[in-house]
Amino acid sequence: MVNFRNAAAAYKSLNGLICVYKPPCVPIKQVQHTIKTNLCRDLNELPDRPREQRVEIVGATNEPMTVKLVPNYADDPLVCGPRYIHEDIRCSWATHLGLFSSGVLLLGINEGTKLTYLINTSRLTRAYKIQGQFGKATDTYFWNGKTVERAAYGHVTREKIDAVVAHMQAAHQKAMYELSGLHMESQATYEMASEGLIRPANSKLPVIYGIKCVHFESPNFTLEVQAVNEYDKYLWTLVHDLGMQLRTSAHCTGVQCIRQGKFDLDVALLRKHWQLEHIVDNMDRCRRILEEHQNLMKPESARLSM
Amino acid sequence: MALLKYLSNIIRTVGTTNSVPRRYLCLLSEKPKSEIKFISDNKHGLESTSEDLSTVTPYYPQTYNLAAYVNNSEFLQNLVHLNVNLSKLEKKPNVVEKILKLNFNDIKKHILFINDFVNEEKLGSYLTKNPLILCESLQDLEVRIHYLQSKHFSQHQISRIIEHNPFWLMFSTQRIDKRLGYYQKKFDLSGDEVRYLATKQPRLITYNLHHVTTNTFVIKEEMGFEGSEIKKLLLDKPRLWMMNQKALLERFNFIHNTMKIPHSTLLLHPEVLFCRSFKMKQRYLFLQKLGRAQFDPKKENYVPITSLAEGTDVDFCKMYAKCNISDFNVFLKTL
Repeated sequence: MVNFRNAAAAYKSLNGLICVYKPPCVPIKQVQHTIKTNLCRDLNELPDRPREQRVEIVGATNEPMTVKLVPNYADDPLVCGPRYIHEDIRCSWATHLGLFSSGVLLLGINEGTKLTYLINTSRLTRAYKIQGQFGKATDTYFWNGKTVERAAYGHVTREKIDAVVAHMQAAHQKAMYELSGLHMESQATYEMASEGLIRPANSKLPVIYGIKCVHFESPNFTLEVQAVNEYDKYLWTLVHDLGMQLRTSAHCTGVQCIRQGKFDLDVALLRKHWQLEHIVDNMDRCRRILEEHQNLMKPESARLSM
Repeated sequence: MALLKYLSNIIRTVGTTNSVPRRYLCLLSEKPKSEIKFISDNKHGLESTSEDLSTVTPYYPQTYNLAAYVNNSEFLQNLVHLNVNLSKLEKKPNVVEKILKLNFNDIKKHILFINDFVNEEKLGSYLTKNPLILCESLQDLEVRIHYLQSKHFSQHQISRIIEHNPFWLMFSTQRIDKRLGYYQKKFDLSGDEVRYLATKQPRLITYNLHHVTTNTFVIKEEMGFEGSEIKKLLLDKPRLWMMNQKALLERFNFIHNTMKIPHSTLLLHPEVLFCRSFKMKQRYLFLQKLGRAQFDPKKENYVPITSLAEGTDVDFCKMYAKCNISDFNVFLKTL
């Protein structure tokens, strides 16, 4: 924990990336708002700078005038408002996380907003845990939708899920080459492909690099997915497709982002810890991670970095 | 804008025929330090003069906040000394307009009057919340206090009411009387109970009555409390009637339908309804995961329902979940 002498010193140190744990059913805007509010509250509680003085020249103009140093009332926090307000703190997210999704969320604070831009353009892989349930399909593909279909799911086994999931992954591997922006039958593509996985060239289409079933207890199951450019609705459809291919129906019951690049759940800051000291602490940790992995921010090749 | 209009009214141009008008601002309601002397109409503005020009002050720029005026206004400075938060006042332009017309000598009596009931430390926040009380006539305020005395409120009760509800004195005796009558009739209260309610939560009496009726509906029809239970709830936790209906129902739904807590237990601990639902939810799910979610006092391993709402997470883990706080934190990252 860091102890700050005064608010100005604390404010100056608030530049960088933080990694928070977004709870489900809380919009990302609200996360941003809460963090700004908490930071302002904590900064305003720290020792303030002394009140400014004001030079006053008084007296009749046709006689010698006196110069006085008086406290400036306009500088009193009671008059000009709290020292730190929402507008003083810039905050932006690196990649969006839907309303019902939870998990790792990278936020840039003040100068860190530039870092979030870099992270967004470098397209880090994100790993998700997706909980689903067989037997019911909904119109939104998520638990809150209207039920449109019910189906038996007794025949689903772990082996069958694994087979379908492996097939899905293979299908996406082909999409990965297509989205790399290279000609499919060129030497460059071959060399690139021989080195490993390739990042997509743009941010339009989702690419899935790995997908596997990590837990199955009929009718509930959990998938682990590594992907780039994905969004919450896309992950829900993934569950729906899985249900279709298994000759049953399925809907998604939860999406949790467990990793983004090198930032995993260990680093993520829980909602109760969104306070100045913890945020500054977390910022240091994130900075160290970024320093260790320089290529996270500015990848030199199209190869997929974690 | 009204403020600016007002200020421009009191800005008087010192009559000179010069092309550059000299303006004199008699700020707010304070008297100028000396009488304005008309500067003898010299042909050129640049001519030197031996007269005292200290009363000629520069033209005040238009402004949206009081900080621009505070250094020149003794009235505003006095308010700052009283700990009134001017930055909050200026958010309401119509209030500022009325306040700036006042003179400190006029409001001295008001402040002394309020000080009879409100502590000196709380005077600032009191006036920040309700600055317009300074515009009420002192007789009215006295009548409203006399009304409370005539209704057999003790001196201690009256000061608590005034202190906890800055807007109470703004209501005419007829309105207050009507409202006290409303609560007495609606919840079937005795005289002592009305006094107790008004003292316990004075803000409820002046609260939006539409809000109160809808909350009564929520508590009676949607949550299913009986008449006498409602009365007990009202006297125990009147703040329930000032809560958002949606939030109230959502919390109740979770406690009653998901956690299966009966009405009788809820009646003993209504304060759990004040706890934010995510906090209760995560503690409940954690207990359930540990197999400790047992809220029946007659069985073993009883966990009181208040434990979900009160105390820090560290205390909760130590006392009821019997585990380390880090386990709880790891669990929170799986939600």
